[in-house]
Order: sequence, then C-alpha cells, then structure tokens
Amino acid sequence: MFENIPVEVGLVHEGERVRKNDMQVELGGPQEPEKFEIVRVRPADAVEDGKILINGPDIADMAEGKHYPLGIVVEISGARLEPDLEGVVERRIHEYCNYIEGFMHLNQRYDIWIRVSKKAFKKGLTSLRFIGEVMIDLFRKELPLIEKIQVTFIMDPAAIKPLFEEAMKTYEARDARARGLSDDDVDVFYGCALCQSFAPTHVCVITPQRYANCGAISWFDGRAAAGVDPKGPIYAIGKGTCIDPEKGEYSGVNESAKQRSMGEVSRVYLYSAFGYPHTSCGCFEGIAFYIPEVDGFGIVLRGFRDVTVNGLPFSTMADSTAGGRQVDGFHGISLEYMRSQKFMAADGGYDRVVWMPQETKERLQSFIPESVYGAIATEQDAKTLDELKVFLQSHNHPVTKRWEQDNPAGAGDMPVERQEVSVLSGRDIPFTAGGFRIILKNAKITAEKVIIQPIRPGGERHGTQKP
Amino acid sequence: MSRKSVSVSIKEIDSDLARFRDLNITIGAITRERWDEPMGPSPFPSLTTLRPWDRLLLSRYKPFYMPFCDLCCLCTYGKCDLTGTKKGACGISMPAQQSRVVLLSACIGAATHTSHAREILTHTIDTFGRDCPVNPGGTAVEVEAPITRLVCGIKPETLGDLEPVLDYCENQLTQLLAVTHTGQEGNSLDFESKVFHTGMIDHLGMEVADLAQVSALGFPKAEPEAPLADLGLGTIDAKKPVILVIGHNVPPAAAIIDYLREHDNAGDVEVTGICCTSLDLTRYAPKAKIVGPISWQLRYIRSGVPDVIVVDEQCIRTDTLTEAEKIHAPLIATSEKNCLGLPDMTHEPADAIVAAFVHGDVTGALILDPEKVGEVASRVALALHPKRKKHGSMPTKHKIAEMAKKCTLCMQCRRACPNDLPVAQAVKLAASENLSGLDELYDDCLGCGRCESACKQKLPIHSLIVSAAEKQTRDETYCLRTGRGAIQDIEIRKVGGPIVLGEIPGIVAFVGCANYPKGSREVADMVTEFAKRRYIVCTSGCAAMSAGMSRNEEGKTVYEQFSGAFEAGGVVNVGSCVSNAHISGAAIKIASIFAKRPLRGNYEEIADYVYNRVGAVGVAWGAMSQKAASIAAGFWRLGIPVVVGPHGTKYRRMLLGRADRGDDWMVYDARSGESVYGGPVPEHLFIAAETKEEAMVLIAKLAMRPNDTSKGRANKLANYIDLHKRYVGGIPGDVYRLVRTPADIPLTLKDEVDAHLAEHDWKESSIPDPTLLSRMVHAKKVA
Repeated sequence: MFENIPVEVGLVHEGERVRKNDMQVELGGPQEPEKFEIVRVRPADAVEDGKILINGPDIADMAEGKHYPLGIVVEISGARLEPDLEGVVERRIHEYCNYIEGFMHLNQRYDIWIRVSKKAFKKGLTSLRFIGEVMIDLFRKELPLIEKIQVTFIMDPAAIKPLFEEAMKTYEARDARARGLSDDDVDVFYGCALCQSFAPTHVCVITPQRYANCGAISWFDGRAAAGVDPKGPIYAIGKGTCIDPEKGEYSGVNESAKQRSMGEVSRVYLYSAFGYPHTSCGCFEGIAFYIPEVDGFGIVLRGFRDVTVNGLPFSTMADSTAGGRQVDGFHGISLEYMRSQKFMAADGGYDRVVWMPQETKERLQSFIPESVYGAIATEQDAKTLDELKVFLQSHNHPVTKRWEQDNPAGAGDMPVERQEVSVLSGRDIPFTAGGFRIILKNAKITAEKVIIQPIRPGGERHGTQKP
Repeated sequence: MSRKSVSVSIKEIDSDLARFRDLNITIGAITRERWDEPMGPSPFPSLTTLRPWDRLLLSRYKPFYMPFCDLCCLCTYGKCDLTGTKKGACGISMPAQQSRVVLLSACIGAATHTSHAREILTHTIDTFGRDCPVNPGGTAVEVEAPITRLVCGIKPETLGDLEPVLDYCENQLTQLLAVTHTGQEGNSLDFESKVFHTGMIDHLGMEVADLAQVSALGFPKAEPEAPLADLGLGTIDAKKPVILVIGHNVPPAAAIIDYLREHDNAGDVEVTGICCTSLDLTRYAPKAKIVGPISWQLRYIRSGVPDVIVVDEQCIRTDTLTEAEKIHAPLIATSEKNCLGLPDMTHEPADAIVAAFVHGDVTGALILDPEKVGEVASRVALALHPKRKKHGSMPTKHKIAEMAKKCTLCMQCRRACPNDLPVAQAVKLAASENLSGLDELYDDCLGCGRCESACKQKLPIHSLIVSAAEKQTRDETYCLRTGRGAIQDIEIRKVGGPIVLGEIPGIVAFVGCANYPKGSREVADMVTEFAKRRYIVCTSGCAAMSAGMSRNEEGKTVYEQFSGAFEAGGVVNVGSCVSNAHISGAAIKIASIFAKRPLRGNYEEIADYVYNRVGAVGVAWGAMSQKAASIAAGFWRLGIPVVVGPHGTKYRRMLLGRADRGDDWMVYDARSGESVYGGPVPEHLFIAAETKEEAMVLIAKLAMRPNDTSKGRANKLANYIDLHKRYVGGIPGDVYRLVRTPADIPLTLKDEVDAHLAEHDWKESSIPDPTLLSRMVHAKKVA
C-alpha cells in the first residue's frame, strides 16, 4: 500500500505538527480568504473513477514559505450513497490527510489550513496528486458504499471563487437540513453500542433531534456508519409505532434497548428525564439534574469545577448518572441535544431549566427561548437553593407557576426538612417487642463496631421528584 | 468519620423502651457512613479470599521460572541444591522456592511502603489532626480512595479513617511473611497467589501514604498543570549552600523548606534531592531541585556540591556516611529504619548539634524529629558552606591519566559491571589522556560503584567516569512536571469516548527504578514515542525523572512537549513511588465511572473488569528494588500486564501466556453465557524485554483487550504493526490472532494485513462482552 507515495502514510503521523520554520508551503489557512473542502454525491456518469485533477500551481510550482488558496472537491457516486451522507464522508478528508507524513491538515469546510513540511517536500511530496491518491485509496477501503470517486484540487485564484461560493451555499443548505430534520421526518433511528465495551448495559439512541450522549455521533454519522457496516456497533433501529409522542417512546426503540441491554432497559423515553430516561455510560458531556426543592432542572457540563446550586459538583452527580442505569432526575446529555427542540421536551424543555453555569448559558443563548433566558440563574445569581428560589421568584421563572399548582400554600418557601439520623432505630434493637418491659441491670453492652448509616443517603433526592 | 473505643456508663435510666441500671456500654469503633453502596463479597480479604481469582489468572499465565540462584540457604539444613528434580531438605521444589523468594521480595517491598505510609500517616495526624479531611482533588475527584474502597470496603473521609486500612495491611503482611517460613507453603501457585495478595496490600499501603501527604501537605491535588521543577546536576547553583536529601519519606525534607522559609533563607539555600524524596519535595516546594534518580547518588556526593546530606529511608546507598565523610559534608539520618551506626542526637538541643557539626566533632547524627532536622540541616549548611569550599573527591583531568596508568587490564571492573560496560578499555585509553572512552560510559553507568570495589589497583573508577564526563554533567539542565497525584474523574470521563472510538490506543505507565540497561534516555525515548502515538502516558518515581532527562530538537523535555492531563498524548507524572497507587486507582475508577460497578469490597469483579477491558500496561524499565516487585504484583492481580527491562529477569520468573494454545483464552460472553475465544490478549502478565525496541512492540501488543471495539483494536493494531515494522522488521507474525473482524484491520495497512490473514487461513470471530467469572453472565431478562 502507498508504495508510490514518497512519504509514509500511517496512523503514527496523525498528531504531527508542521511549524512555520519547517514549512515548505501553506495551503488555505488564516491568510487566505478563500479555501474549502467539500464532498458531493453525483450521478454515476458524472464521476470518472480514480481521476485526480489539479487546477492551478502544484506544490512544486509554489514559492517556499508562501501561502496559496486551495479548494478540494471530492466527487463520489454509488447506488447507496445519498446527499445526507456528504458531511460525514467529508470529515474523513481531515483524518486521511493527517495520516500523510509531513502534511498537516487542520479544521474543516471553509476553514481548512494545510502545511507541507520541507522534509516531506525534499522526500518528493511535490504534488497534490499524491494526496489525491491516498484519499481515493482510503475512501474506497473504508467506505465501500463509494463506487466511483474523483478528486479535484483547485489553486487557481480565478477558478476557486465560484466554487467557493457554491460550497458555502452547500454547507448552508446542509446545516439547514440538519437543523430542520425532526424525529418525525425519519423512519429509522440509530443505536450505538460502542460504549458497551465499558458499560455493557448502556445503549445510545441517536435520532435527528437527539445526538449521542458523547456529542460525537449525529444521526447522519449513524446513518453512514450503519450503511458501511450493518453488523457493526452502530446499527439501524426501526422506529416502530410511536407509543407516546410527547415523551418520545417508540416500540422499535424499546425492543432494541431490551435486546441490546440484555433486558436491563425495556423502555426508553427519548425526551424526558423521568420515568424511563435514556441511559448514560460515563462520557456524557453534561448532566441535567432535578432539583426537587424548586421542581426544576439544573444543568452542568463536565468542565465546571465548582459545586452547583444544589451543593454537589459535577463529579458527584455524574456518579449517580452513569453506568447504563435509568435514574430518575439524573440525566446524561450532550451539548448538541441541548440545542435540540426536543431537549427534555416532555419535562418542559428550557421552561423547566432553572440553573446552569454562566459560560454554558452564554454558549447556548441562541437555543434557549428568549422568554425564559433571563429567568435561568447562573452561579453568579444563586449559589444556594434558597438564593435560587428567590431568584426564580423575582424573575418569574415558569417553574414558579408549578409551585402554586402543586402546593397552594407556596411550596417554594417551605424549608427542606432533613431526616434525622437516629442511632437506635427500632429495627436495630431487638428488644422492642410490644407488651413487654425489659429491665437491664448491671448490663454491659459491648459492640465491636457501631455503624451509623442513613437509611438511603441521596435516595430521598430521587424519591421526592414529581412525575 | 470514625472513632475508636467509646465507653458510656449510665447509672440509671427509665424509658418507654426499658429501664436500665448501672449500664456500661463499650463500643469498639463507631463508624458513621454516608455511603449507600452495598458491601461487596470481599471486604478486608484474607490470604485465601481471592485465591480463586489468582488461580484463574495463573492458569493463563503460568510462571516461567528462571532461577537466579539454584540454591536455598534460608535454613540450617542448607544450602540445598534444587536443580533438576532435586528437592530441598524440607521437600521444597525449585518452582516453589523461586516463587517463595518472589514472595519474600514482595513482602519486603509491601512492608516498606506500608511502614512508610504509617510514618506519613502518624506524622500528618500528629500535625494536622485525625479529623483532617482526605482530599485528593476537591470537587474533581469523587472516588477519593479507589483501592481502599475496593479492598477494604471503606470510604475514608479523614486521616483517622485511614488507620484501620494500615492496621489491615500490617496484619496481612505479618501473615504473608510467615508463609515463607521453612515448612509452610509448598505449592508454587499458592506462593504466587500470595505474591498477588502482597501486591494488592502494597497498593493499599501506597494509596494511604500518598492520600495522607497530598491531603495534609498541600501537594498538587489531581492537578494536570502542576508546576514544572528543575531537574539535573546543571540546574544547581553550587555557589549557594546546598542541602541534599535522599530517600522517600518527605517530612524531614519538608521541614528544611519550612525552616528556611520561616527564617527568610528560602532563596539563599539550594535544597536538592535524589530519588522519591525529591519528587515529593517538589510537590511541596516546586523551587526545590531534583538531582536525578538513585543512580546519581555517588556522582553527586563526590562532586562535593552538597554541604549537608540528609537521608531518610529506602534506596539510599548504605555507604553514604563514608562518601559524605570524604567530602566533609555532615550526614543526618532521620529514620528509625536507617540509623547508619550514628549517635542518636534527637533529644539534644539544636544549638548543640549544629555546633558539633560545625566544629567537626561528629560527621553524622541520627535525628528522629523532622522539625529538628529542618533546623539543624539548614543552619549547618549556612554555617559550613563558606568553610567547606565545595570540597569534592573528584580527580582532575591530569590526575585521571596518572591513575589510569596503573590499570593492568585485568578486566575485573567489566566483570563486575551490571551492564557489562567496556570499563577497562576506557580506563586504559584514559592513560593516554584520551578521556572519550570514560566520557562515553557516563550515560549508561548505573552509578553502583561495583567497578571500584573490584579494581585490584583500587582506582576510583566511578569518579574517573564522572570527572571525564564533566561537560555532560554541567549540561544536565532538564525539568519535570511535579507529581500531580490522582487522576480526576472528569478526565477519565473525557477519555471514554476517544478510547471506544479508537483515538486513544491505550495507557502506558513508566514507573520504577533506574537499573536501566542503557541509561535514562531510553525511558525518555519510549515516553516520547507513545505520547506521540496518542497513548496516555503516566510516569512516577525514578522513571518520571528519567523521562525528563532528555530534550528534543527544540530543546524541550517531554514535560514541556506534552500536556500533563490524562488525555491522548498526555504525559502524566503522578509523583513518587507511592503515587503509583493513583495509576492502579485510575484503572479501578474506570469500572465505577463507566459501568457503575460497585467498588466496595468487590475486588474480584473489578479486577475482572480491568483485566478484560482497560488497556493499560505498566513498564518498569529499570526495576531494581523489592518495592518494584510488589508494585508489579499489585498490577498483576488487577490483570494489568507489566514489562520490565533485562535486569528484571532477576525477579526469577515471568508470567507468560501461550498464544498458541487456543483453549487458554476462552472467556464467557456475558451476554450469552457462552464460552468463546477471547484472543490472546493481553498475551503476557509479566515479561522482560531485552531492548527498548522489543519493549515498545510488546507494550503496543499488551494494550489490547478482548472488549476492544473494532475502531479501538484497529488503532492498537496499527501501532503494534507500525512499531514492529520500524524496530523489528516486517509485519508481526501473529496479527491473524489479533484480528477478530474485518473492521479490526487498520485502514492504512489493509492490503498487507489482508494478505497476511489469507496466508494464515484466518476466520472471523465475534467480539465478546468478556468476563472470566461465570457469575457475571447476565441473567436472561430478555423475553
């Protein structure tokens, strides 16, 4: 493999950096306004298999140390290929380019930034043709769905302009389609069992409106992966019948979860943190945690190092969230799911969210309904539950209405009572038989150890939530 | 919270429940638990509790004996020749005797860590109180003491809670040591099982030691960006008074820093260290300087730079007093375990001790009070520095040639050299004033000094080598990321995705001593290779120093090139020897974090999880000590393979798997309960490599596990094949055993791997949900 390529091609080169002093030329990058890479699915007769076109000056023709515009157009065809997969295929370009020794590829789409090292150039990496050859070879091997493939490199400034504009339009259309695609629009969801190698009973269900918990796999990724290797760890799930549109319960999802989790999980609500919430392994990006005292949810991402408003840090709550279990009110989520319209839709979505770190709130600003944005507290507004209650009330947060409904006396003001820990409970002491009076004289009671254990620490937390 | 021995007396009480008169209640211990995890099957396991698990491992990895000594001379029947099928006077066979010596060695190691832990714990409790909270990483660490939770079923919240853990360690070690008495255990596998038990106890002891010092002494707490500290002879300002600390137990060294700080002398005195004390000292005070690993003891002392030498415990040259006297540097011993024949001056006033040293009345003293050590060492260094004028014992260049002329080329020096270095030839060459031969030896020299002892002409050969390499020593200006302690839970969560998606091929820990076949740089080379390949690389102990003792073409050490976070391509220095517990602890936490497996008293299940799923490999390239033996044993019981350098063969036996025997590699598929082939992974549990090239290929291979996702396996195979091609040549002959499905084949190597598979009549197999324990098979809940 790659005998004709003058430099090495392999995984070992993936992390390589080409620094400015070692750079022969730069393609794209911050100093070039027009650069892009794109994959397009074409009809079979529009693709000449294996063709590599170079339009403009090649690496050998470029002046050392200078930068040039670059467009990469990969055109593919195949009976089972569909335009929805273009984005997934496109991201492979980054990976493949970085396998090539002395060829550094950063970013994607209209942000690409490539450097060719002097060392690689001296070894003979003087033409983009080699890059094209590597790409074509790897695309064919990894994605047998691709029946024909051709690659065009455009460095000619005049030729690049119209293609760049077309590419920008394509990205936009693609994003609009991804944003607009709802779970109702498709018949098939995808399941991911990759994390089962560490969490054997966890399965992720990936839908257009619910990203995988890790944030790394979209519905489109799932579709591509399942298409390439239908027996692989990412597989199609027929939706089946919709049992509950609000909570997001589907017969096909339930059946699949039951099989894949070996019976641990038999029902899944896709859009709720209660009842039968979607499970988590351990690598979720964030947690939505129920705060019974205010009947709302806090959200914390894993990078947040302080304690949250309920007094617990991410790491402690993560412990309650992980491991492929369905835990009421502790919900592992991805950032991308938080951008979805179905985000905890059954529980009230953002109208039920009462607290999140400032940084996260800013990051999600365009996805949080304006009506509630100002009423969601951050660590700057509320550090304790009492402060939170005051904040929510003063900002008229939608959850405050639930307080009134649930408890006309005003539940929000009620102090949270802690259960007293008693050392000698009736259960622990055998001489509580009714009707008898026990008199101990000169008694010596010796215990090797007394264990004082709350009945279920943290357990009340789960038990007091409202359905 | 935990309190010991509470007594309550009640003269008279009437209640609804009962009437009491003269009631005495005595309670052995009160434990308040805020932990609702149910107790697992094996809290505080005895010597045999985990024997079935050990047997499972040992049936795959049968000990392969390499008797380092054919005789047993432990009792007065002996010496007994055990070669061939001969038995000793007590009936012991060669295999049992080899395992017995391994057990002895592991007991020494574990006892050393446990007693070190006891000293640290006693010291920190005395200073900060029993209620000082255990805090290895603030909010970033939920599982504060994974090994303690796993083995003892205890969730320690305060330093006081750690005491019963050490009580248990001490109890077990007494029994384990008793096992080695003549006429006790006779079966080699039972000895091996007890070696594993000793290793587990060792990790427990290490965890307590580091938890106590991290919690109480203000060390970095699971901090990926712990500060960098200076490392190397060239970083030391010899114009200042210099104190040298050697050993492992940091309180006396920390007291020196405290004293200097309190007396505004912090910038005036160089506090330098060798071995783990210096690692822990830089965790306490990042401005302290690390000279280097244990092999730097002779060369640094003889340079005359240290004005005062303070030794605590472990891995300290036992002739330090003689060497210190040669350079007129006072020696202070600080540990009951290492008194060196010195007068006990613990109870003398500091003024008197200082005066005695300054006047030269004594050359050394035993001071068993860290605070007093801090004062005496600081004051003596300040007072003696102008007088000593860095009196060294190194010969000048001219003197070297003169001495070298006496060499008769008898070759005794080379025979004595553990690394078979061409010492005699180099000395002979030096006679003609050509010092290049000696200079070249410097890098590979272990600093043991055996060449000198062997020399019939009584030449100070080690000094000749170091003098000839003077430029090299001056250029030793490196750095090291100070020990960060634990791995954050969140870091572990973050790497879960990249591991299953095949972006991180494994975790490699470079640990242990400096008995290297070819000097420190090999460790730095290996660390660089694996970090570049996006493995998570951990370091600790002397290996952490060696990793830092090399620079790339940009002049950067590995600690400057790579991040200190537990992530792809990170180089994570956890700290000193006892910090190794954080590496095994991280493996244990993976089970808790991803699968929510209960840790509490649940050793077997978690070891089965780690063994089958966590692609970690330990590398002790210069393993020398008995502690290294017990550390390795603790990894084995968790199912984590360990690779050692060539000197590691002297640990008397390897634990090798047989890839050619298909039946050895059957696992249960937890989904179906069927017994299926799990592949020869990890192929070995303990193996020595002769060269670093061989080691690197082995490391890549031993990072494979039966649960690997296809993407994960493909990435591991890509690294294994690539390293093999680079350093051995060609595609390895056993790839067909390691490929389970076509998706396992690395993309960039597809053509050659396809051809190799065709040659070997390869057949596709499934990827199991692997376990060795039938009880872990899922009950059929699926209708």
